[in-house]
Amino acid sequence: MTYQFVLEGVVVGLAVGSIYALIAVGFTVLYKSTKILNLAHGELVLFGGYLAIAVTSAAGFLPVPTAFAVGVAVTLLAAAALGFAVERAVMRPLFGQPLLSVIIVTLALGYVIRGVMVGIWSGETRTFPPVVPATVVRVAGVPVSLVGVWSAAAAALLLVLFGLFFRYTRWGIAMRAAANEQLTASTLGVSLKRVFAYAWAFAAVAGAVGGILLGLWLGVNFALAAVGLKALAAVILGGLDSIPGAILGGLLVGVVETVLGGYIDAHVKLWGQPLHGFKEVTAYLVILLALMVRPYGLFGTEHIERL
Amino acid sequence: MAYARPCGDFKTSYAQDMALLDIRLYRWGFAVLLVALALAPWALGRWIYLLNDIAIFAIGATGLSLVMGFAGQISLGHAAFMAVGAYTSWFVTSQLRLPFAIALPLSALVAFAVGAVVGLPSLRIKGLYLAIATLAFQFLVEYLVVQTVSGMGGTPVPSMDLLGVPVNTEVRFWYLVATVWVLGAVFATNLTRTRVGLALMAVRDRDYAAQVLGVNLLYYKTLAFALGAAYAGVAGSLFAHYNRVIGAEHFSLAQSIDFVAMLVIGGLGSVWGPHLGAAFVRVLTQLLKMWAPALGALLPVLGRATTSVHDIVFGVVLIAFLIWEPGGLATLLRKLKRYVDLWPFPH
Repeated sequence: MTYQFVLEGVVVGLAVGSIYALIAVGFTVLYKSTKILNLAHGELVLFGGYLAIAVTSAAGFLPVPTAFAVGVAVTLLAAAALGFAVERAVMRPLFGQPLLSVIIVTLALGYVIRGVMVGIWSGETRTFPPVVPATVVRVAGVPVSLVGVWSAAAAALLLVLFGLFFRYTRWGIAMRAAANEQLTASTLGVSLKRVFAYAWAFAAVAGAVGGILLGLWLGVNFALAAVGLKALAAVILGGLDSIPGAILGGLLVGVVETVLGGYIDAHVKLWGQPLHGFKEVTAYLVILLALMVRPYGLFGTEHIERL
Repeated sequence: MAYARPCGDFKTSYAQDMALLDIRLYRWGFAVLLVALALAPWALGRWIYLLNDIAIFAIGATGLSLVMGFAGQISLGHAAFMAVGAYTSWFVTSQLRLPFAIALPLSALVAFAVGAVVGLPSLRIKGLYLAIATLAFQFLVEYLVVQTVSGMGGTPVPSMDLLGVPVNTEVRFWYLVATVWVLGAVFATNLTRTRVGLALMAVRDRDYAAQVLGVNLLYYKTLAFALGAAYAGVAGSLFAHYNRVIGAEHFSLAQSIDFVAMLVIGGLGSVWGPHLGAAFVRVLTQLLKMWAPALGALLPVLGRATTSVHDIVFGVVLIAFLIWEPGGLATLLRKLKRYVDLWPFPH
């Protein structure tokens, strides 16, 4: 593993990781305020990517940047609507049900969302029209595609905006209150129903933005749903209920995946056969390791159980 | 009326109280069920393959029911244990050239051991963390299968023969699988009323409280996983020799979720649940497979959507059950029974 290889891996990994972080934050916010582990998060990412591409292509008569802006706007609105709809139709009737039901219902939800999308857009990889020129820039001496830089910048900007939202706005504070202690928040006049609805909308929007950014960079196909699980790795690593943890976890997963996964893919042989696609399972190894060593993550609150 | 407990049915011994089939009607019912299973090939004709399919997955689902329904440990990697059984069976019969009669118990044993290892972390991590860990295990097994044995295609599995009799027709396979199915189901049902079963339920309801009462958590949690995995291993072995080709796609996350769906639809923590659920899920799968092309021809508007009908219908059915009948088909049946019992009065 040469210095150059590691450096390249770190830079590219940070760029990918920033998008994972963005997706992971959606995950964490949802978990914090509703205590729901959303296993359909990958499908929300997929939804964002596909819808944005579809709308952008449909608006192809406009100049490309305008069409892209329209695509993004429509997608974000649709994602928010989807989030509200899911909360109202599926999650609210299950309020207070055991953990098992809630986990399974998100899995089922993922099935439905993916099924509908496969039906509409079939499976092939789709790409955006060239919104950002396909040039390569050098960051710290490492060649990175311009799209990657833009995605990382956009993700960073959004993370800051999300931070401000939770710090200063009325609903951001209400959501944090509900996350801290649901019952107390509700006695102080925070409407839990609305907080849950906003949390779902927020998660769907964060996922959709992640889908758009990844789509810009790598194109969208159904393997993208696995990104939802990488976000899961990020969240477990950082601590399920910690937003800074989710961000750091996202970046770490991105870097580990690119450096370690990339290295093993290229150089390690098993029984004389090169290991393909090890990169794709690095995230799961991260999950297992994190769970073994520190189940509550780097920054998560340790759960103390009482009888 | 017909099957209501007769008045004055007093139990005079513990044996009577513990009996699984405690009234005459249930004993007769069970006998009729066994006869019906034995005669099924004549009644169903070529449709017997549906029953074979159901039986394989019902065996697997019974295992998951021990893990999730009785011990309360969430597992999203049940299909991975099935893969362990299937590949063990493949290795033993095609590489070691040993008979199927040895391969089947060996698959159960290997899956049992793997299940015990995978179950170990359940002591430290629980609830949703455990669900995630089993999910990661599922992906790693899928990856290993693709990388080491099967690649992206499938691995052919030799046909089986049992003590010299080739099991090469649907009907012969039915008698094999039905025997395993009934034995497995009876064993699992029996287990739920022994010390082990009661300990598992205590762990499910509150693990620390169970520990205080003297239930060894390490032992029972790993035992639950190991037993569940052994059932999946048997199902995997049977599946491998029935399907004659195995690949990563047969033991994917989707299959694991199907197992969970079987339990939820059938009824968690119920003895009949996994069987009802497996029947429901497999019949629905086969029907959708049969009807999807017809549906597409009938309504061209749907276009490609017919290919994903399975996923959509499944998701919707699962959500509907969770919202309206979390107890699954088993609870529905109980309600029906109660209704008939009390008829014509509402209460």
